[in-house]
Amino acid sequence: MIVMKNIYKSFENESEIFHALEDVSLKIQEGEMILIQGESGSGKSTLLSILGLLMKPTSGSVEIKGENIVSFSDIHTSDYRKNEIGFITQNFHLFEELTVKDNLLAPLVLHPLSPYEIEKKIENALTIANIHHKKEQVVSSLSRGEKQRCIIARALVNNPKILICDEPTANLDVKNSLLFIETLKKLKKNGRTIILATHDTIFENLTFIDQKISLKEGKID
Amino acid sequence: MLNKLNFLLILLLTYKKKHLSIFLLSSLLISIVSSVVFISSSIKHDIFHTLESQADFTIQKYKAGKVLNTPTKWIDEFLQIDGITNVQGRIYGTHFYEPAEEYFTIIGIDLFDTQVVSSLNKLIDDINTTQFLSRQNMIIGSDVKKFLDEYHYFDYYNFRPPDRSIEKVFIYDTLNKHSNIVSGDTILMDISLARKILGVEDGYVTDIILTTPNPQEIDTVKIKLRISHFDMRLIQKEEIKKYYQNLYNYKGGIFLVLYIIVILSFLLILYQRYSIISNSDAKEVAILRQLGWQIKEVIWFKILENIFVILSAYILGVSLAYFYVYFLNAPILKNIFLGYSNLDIQTIFSPAISFTELFLIFIFFTVPFIATITIPVWRLSTKEPSEIIK
Repeated sequence: MIVMKNIYKSFENESEIFHALEDVSLKIQEGEMILIQGESGSGKSTLLSILGLLMKPTSGSVEIKGENIVSFSDIHTSDYRKNEIGFITQNFHLFEELTVKDNLLAPLVLHPLSPYEIEKKIENALTIANIHHKKEQVVSSLSRGEKQRCIIARALVNNPKILICDEPTANLDVKNSLLFIETLKKLKKNGRTIILATHDTIFENLTFIDQKISLKEGKID
Repeated sequence: MLNKLNFLLILLLTYKKKHLSIFLLSSLLISIVSSVVFISSSIKHDIFHTLESQADFTIQKYKAGKVLNTPTKWIDEFLQIDGITNVQGRIYGTHFYEPAEEYFTIIGIDLFDTQVVSSLNKLIDDINTTQFLSRQNMIIGSDVKKFLDEYHYFDYYNFRPPDRSIEKVFIYDTLNKHSNIVSGDTILMDISLARKILGVEDGYVTDIILTTPNPQEIDTVKIKLRISHFDMRLIQKEEIKKYYQNLYNYKGGIFLVLYIIVILSFLLILYQRYSIISNSDAKEVAILRQLGWQIKEVIWFKILENIFVILSAYILGVSLAYFYVYFLNAPILKNIFLGYSNLDIQTIFSPAISFTELFLIFIFFTVPFIATITIPVWRLSTKEPSEIIK
């Protein structure tokens, strides 16, 4: 279970302080799918960054399995990201000149795995993400939908418990967006906790969403 | 670790263009400084090897700041001093070769001296004393041969001594080109013939050499020699060694100073290049951090990546320098080091590698290089991952 209590996050520049999140509290049960909605600039990505341990809040606590991860050192937060979290982002954070298969290698090399185990994990993730047929292709030559599937495969390759999706369909057409929703449905069925932030209306009426949160100017609406 | 290395190799091979310019520039810089080290080591090795077989002291008559021919009676006087052996008079001098406007060094050798013959056998394959002395013969250095051949003196050459006579001297053999750097402009001939050609009167020699077998006696012998005659110049082998050592250290030092300036400029350019981390580099760090790579893992990965680049550049640079110095005989740099004293240098450098200096080049190049590239990456990696991703 993930518990966020009284999260504040503010950014300072020379002349002003910008409050990205103000007093945000929320609970996410294991295996739940949570939809975070809101306009651009409402604080969705900041909230996901804190949940994904990519950013520390200015104040408040984030407890995962009873441990407050805010005070974790870089070693612990990195380990947590490595073992527990998979990221699916709108901007394709991929090594564009590497093949799909080699992109999936990046998270796996941190684990003490044999070449056979690595190969098996990659094959499995590529099959789930339905991109196996492109595994030897260079990422830069893929379509947007294929790149998104490559990102999904990489997020799944370590078999993480939590999936964090930031505007996953922002660069996809309707057909590919629907395919992505199907994949999410399967992942939810497999017991993964999914935290999804979007302002895409295509997600609004999905039946497998357990919790919906709407953010407005950094506050839960 | 093996998995990380595998991934590193994949990245290096895929993004090879990114490293190419730095790799080539580093190779060039390393090859220049390695060439200087190779040349300097080779010259020092050859000169010291030659000096090793030389006498401990060389004595010349010296008056009013001028070197005069030395009386042979001094030889007997020196033989009386305890601790001195093998006292010999030498005849040598320069000959101006008018057709090419070059100077050759004539050295008179006593072929009845077994030590001289044994030294000579190291320079040419074999010498038959009887045959050599049967007529006026000479053994010439490779540079001398080149200039004589140019003017069709294939078999003999006519010398014009100061008494205006003509001395026809036949070419007996050529000194081995690989022997050492001091033999290129040399002509070896019988001592009496050399005396005639150089116009050294009977009862005089150009200088006297002598040996002190016991190194502990050298200082005492030096004092005894100094007080024996006040009109003489005493040259000690150790002084010559020091002179050459200083000379080539000085020449090598100038290069090293220039090299350091070039390296610093190179590192400055590198730092400027890497302090504004390119989008692709920042993206790479961002991806790795997001995927759970720790700060230290990212930094080590980047260090390793650059070690691969610099190590390859180092191996290529040193190999190029080896080829340039020992196969191509170091055109341009050779002349700067050896100068144009008597002849254009035809020397072939014999491989003498100073591993300590090569190791120092490696350290002095790699450490600042790695630091220059790693510091900006470290600064980037220590930011919050979300900030890098932006």
